[in-house]
Amino acid sequence: MIVAKGLRKQFMVRGQTLVAVDRISFTVGNGEVYGLLGPNGAGKTTTLRMVMGLLDPDEGHVEIGGVRTDIDPIAIRSQLGLISTNDGVYPWLTVREMLMYFADLYAVEVPVALVRLEELAELLNIKNFLDQRCSTLSTGQKQRVTLARGLMHDPPVMLLDEPTRGLDVVGSQTVFEFIELLKKRGKSVLLSTHRLDEAERVCDRFGLLHHGTVRYEGTLDDLRSLTGKYHLVDMFIDLIREDRQPVPSPTAGA
Amino acid sequence: MQEYLSNGRLLRLCLKELRESLRDRRTIMTLIMMPILVYPLLSMAMQRLLLGAVSAPSGQLEYVIGVADDNTARVISLALRETQRAASEGVRPSIEILRPAPKDANANPLSQPLNEPDGDGKSPEANPEANSGNENGKNINTPTAGAIRTNQQAAFSIVVPERTAVSTSLADGQLDLAIRSASFERFPLPNGVSIPVFEFEMEFRDGDPRSEMAMAEFRKAMQLINDYQSAVLRGNRLPASVTLVSNAVGQRVDPMASLAGVLPLVLILMTITGAVYPAIDLTAGERERGTMEAMIATPAPRFILLLSKYVAVVTVAVLTAVANLFASWITLSLGGLGRALLGERGFSFWTLIQIFPLLVIFAAFFSAILLAMCSFARSFKEAQAYLIPVMLVSLAPALVTLMPNVEFSTLLGIVPLVNILLLSRDIMTGASTALPAFAAVLSTLLYAAAALVVASRLFGGESATSGSQESWSDLMRRPKRRFPTPDIGELAIYLALLFPVFFVATNLAGQWVLSIERKLLVNALLLLVLFLLAPCFFAIYRRMDLKKTFLLRLDGTENPNGLPRPVRLLGVFAASCLMAAGLWIVAYEALKLLSDLGFGTIDLQKTAALEEAKSRFREVPFWLIFLTSALIPAICEEFFFRGFVLSAFRSRLHPTRAIIYSALLFGVFHVVNGNVLSIERFAPTAILGLALGFLAVRSGSLWPGILLHAIHNGLLFWLTRFNQSELAEWLGSDSEHFPTAWILASVGSIAIGITVLSFSTLKRSDEVSP
Repeated sequence: MIVAKGLRKQFMVRGQTLVAVDRISFTVGNGEVYGLLGPNGAGKTTTLRMVMGLLDPDEGHVEIGGVRTDIDPIAIRSQLGLISTNDGVYPWLTVREMLMYFADLYAVEVPVALVRLEELAELLNIKNFLDQRCSTLSTGQKQRVTLARGLMHDPPVMLLDEPTRGLDVVGSQTVFEFIELLKKRGKSVLLSTHRLDEAERVCDRFGLLHHGTVRYEGTLDDLRSLTGKYHLVDMFIDLIREDRQPVPSPTAGA
Repeated sequence: MQEYLSNGRLLRLCLKELRESLRDRRTIMTLIMMPILVYPLLSMAMQRLLLGAVSAPSGQLEYVIGVADDNTARVISLALRETQRAASEGVRPSIEILRPAPKDANANPLSQPLNEPDGDGKSPEANPEANSGNENGKNINTPTAGAIRTNQQAAFSIVVPERTAVSTSLADGQLDLAIRSASFERFPLPNGVSIPVFEFEMEFRDGDPRSEMAMAEFRKAMQLINDYQSAVLRGNRLPASVTLVSNAVGQRVDPMASLAGVLPLVLILMTITGAVYPAIDLTAGERERGTMEAMIATPAPRFILLLSKYVAVVTVAVLTAVANLFASWITLSLGGLGRALLGERGFSFWTLIQIFPLLVIFAAFFSAILLAMCSFARSFKEAQAYLIPVMLVSLAPALVTLMPNVEFSTLLGIVPLVNILLLSRDIMTGASTALPAFAAVLSTLLYAAAALVVASRLFGGESATSGSQESWSDLMRRPKRRFPTPDIGELAIYLALLFPVFFVATNLAGQWVLSIERKLLVNALLLLVLFLLAPCFFAIYRRMDLKKTFLLRLDGTENPNGLPRPVRLLGVFAASCLMAAGLWIVAYEALKLLSDLGFGTIDLQKTAALEEAKSRFREVPFWLIFLTSALIPAICEEFFFRGFVLSAFRSRLHPTRAIIYSALLFGVFHVVNGNVLSIERFAPTAILGLALGFLAVRSGSLWPGILLHAIHNGLLFWLTRFNQSELAEWLGSDSEHFPTAWILASVGSIAIGITVLSFSTLKRSDEVSP
């Protein structure tokens, strides 16, 4: 369960204040996939980092499982899993060594980690190359290793930051199946993406971000009735058009 | 934190970093290939250098001989003409100059006739046909004349310095050789002819290759006359034609001693090279590979993450150091270069064993610096851009160590890098001294700890993920505190700042010529500034809670027993008096025992100067001694060691461990004593530190400790008021030891003190923690 309340973050860029995220609030229930959608620079990654505790919000706070993250930001991290676009692997470690390393980082006991490793290897089909160095893996294989890495500590909350970027159809399909799996296991999933087709496929609810604020929020049906558009893509194009023509914005649903 | 320190987890984290480093071929390359390549190449270059130094002067060089007057000059040119004649008649010199003359021959003035028989036992024989009666001092080159070339290209020009004395010109290097006196006479032979007989006394600069070479060439030229005479006058009993006395002057500058500095520098450079790649790879590389964010997002404390990386970097650096040590040792031992560089002992295995820990300490220090530098770089390129200037800047002072006559002074002991280089050099040449060595090792370790703390604060900071570059200013910014007392990191940083200042200040104060009263005041002032005011400012600046950090409350027990407050306080202060009453005797006896066992660096009783100093000390009013040596030290040291240090250790450690570590630190700081190293003070001071730490933790207050400390110091200094006979009368023995009964009583007093303290501060619950 993730509850974000009034998150705000601003940065100083070359002496100018840039508001990256402006009072964003949302809730992700257990077994729910929440899509944080928006064009590049909308504030998705900044929001995810604040949820993760890597960035301190200037205002507002995040609750994970009912506990505010700013009380003990370190302890809350064991409740969170993170998979992001830029995730790399350790080229000189074998897949098994890398996964066990992350188990240690999350302070998972070795016997527990070993069982989980076998289970995840089966589930994500990485069994065949568990003892290969990561540098020898293909992009798809690396992606599956990364997904397994995110689950080594079995967190109740999963944050996915554009997990399909740079993947082919097969790779993306693996991610979708992974998200389905997370859902089945009752985890709260926060997915940030600008791939609207995949969002339509996997997300239960959406938050449409633009310029650091949530413009529309709800299920796909809610959004359709709010915007009058059928596809997410069309809603998006409307959002972006606002920038070009100073049309008065529709009343925000956030 | 605890869950990362247990179950071998930290070890596994370190192993991961090591695997990552050692499986990388580039690391292995620097680790193994570099030493294999560097040392043979270096040794070849050195050998060329050494040979070059020897062979170069015998080429077209012209040596300048200085003389005091024209007459000497005339005699010398006469002799040189004899040499030319001998050479033109085909006499081959019996001396060949291959290398500089052996050191012992140079160092001692030698006076020997040069025409000793060439090993066949024949005495020189006269030959009437070959006399030399015609060269009678014509063509004298004075004061400056064209060079007179003797055989085989060695040329001399003779100069009479006009303004300065000959010896001054020689010392300045204007002359290569000075001839102090020269005499010439003709020795008549029975057959009517006569042979020239010369006597010279010359001076050369000791250890200067050019001057030594000039001396050797002149000897060789003179030897030719002797050889000529003995060849042509075979069979006659004759005095030596030329008698030479050569004196080495000036302070011997051993060119090889400065070369001995090259080896530590190379070793250190190679150790750095070994550490650089892993340091970049494990920090900036982590970011470049995209594994940093996932790692930072885990609950593992940053310090643990960095510590595991640090262990890996140090390990690789130490492995590199070992590979280099062995490669250099083998190269130097095989080629005989070791002996040429480092003197007779060469590069022994024992030297290698002594150098190794220094390299480990250096690796520990530099790896921390490297990690701190790389921790806020976002890519390999950026890390390299940060490192290169740092390396260049740090190497500039390192080159200073290559200069001859750079002494490893006490103050250089705290200059990072330079201290380790000079200490290694001194160990290699077998001339290390204790105080700078102590300062070098301790300061380097403290710098390493501080750099590690800085690195762990920079590592994976906000700049790592968000792209803002505020890491350095974050460090300086006054923090929002989560804990009221200092943490171990803050302690490490403060100690790394304090120790060099403390060391330099006590040293300078020790060298100052002042009256005893002033000296006492200066020391007290130093204590006030460094151990009381500066920590307080630091604590205020870092927004610490002063009351909690320095245990300022009179009654600090948090969970007191049922005793009323006045009774409890009375108990605590009575306990500190009882402990003080016993501890000073124990401290005195321990100090005495250690001095008797030979651990003392200053023998208080036997040195006349010290006895005099003591008698002058007795004239100082006691209130001044008590103020400057008991009360002020008690307050300042308690504030620092039982306040700041103990609080910092207690923020993370069990109180027992915190007490032990603070006591060890208390002991270490007392070993530096002006400009001498008093090792014997360590144990007694550390014991006192244990007692004071226990008192501070149990009472939760600094004040009982200050009382104990002041009484303890006061009594010890009171003892110095008595001279030996008074003391002997008083103690009832000559041994300067307290009677056994006294010692037993003092131990008893300490025991009662501890018991009283324990009872007065006993918690109501059964849970007793010291």
